[in-house]
Amino acid sequence: MTAGEPVFQDGEAFYSEALHRISRNMLIVVPLLACAAWWKFGWRVAIGLAAGCSIAYLNFHWLKRVVTALADRATQTQRKQSSAGVVLRFLLRYLLMAFAAYVMIKRWPGSLNGLLAGLFLPVAAVLWEAAHELVFSATRER
Amino acid sequence: MRTLSTLKYLFMALSVMSFATPLLAQGGTTGGFDVVPIAAGFSMAIASGLCALGQGKATAGAAEALARNPGARAGIQLALILGLALIESLALYTFVIIFVKVK
Repeated sequence: MTAGEPVFQDGEAFYSEALHRISRNMLIVVPLLACAAWWKFGWRVAIGLAAGCSIAYLNFHWLKRVVTALADRATQTQRKQSSAGVVLRFLLRYLLMAFAAYVMIKRWPGSLNGLLAGLFLPVAAVLWEAAHELVFSATRER
Repeated sequence: MRTLSTLKYLFMALSVMSFATPLLAQGGTTGGFDVVPIAAGFSMAIASGLCALGQGKATAGAAEALARNPGARAGIQLALILGLALIESLALYTFVIIFVKVK
């Protein structure tokens, strides 16, 4: 065993946990953004933002499940899901987003901007994760 | 043969331009129709189509890589999920820009 091997295994474990960290980052970011929006723009935008973040979180979760099902099929593991279910879940995400946007437009038209901003929650979480990994790799190389 | 092909494309471009000219001439404050919704629809269609192509290409590449090297599943799956999420966000960017401009 070389001196660098345990470090590599640490790194591998670190990167394999990235998806969990992204999900956790989303959950941390939602209340912070909602409070900031409430303070700056009012409760309507905050509700829209919270709804958008919830949809984005659910959307990301379903995307993970769809990709896991795809990977199960590609690697031919025992755990298989029906193709129709995978495709249905993939399409259902878009229907959910459209329905939420429709309800928001009809119920609180002022909160639509918040809803649209909340849909970008995964991007914020991925950027956070990228910064985290940069810091991790920089400190590991020292 | 090549000249004919070039001519074909030239005449196609000319015919499109001859349709486009009177369309653009119908501007003005009264009586003209608003091209913004049409442009918005085309923009969204182009963005969605290109994002779908990108997602399809990413998924095909990941499926191929998984079939070749199942041991690298964790890394490929992570890259695919992040790639799909970011590609989807590109279509959302377009939607938001259109929404802001059309509203």
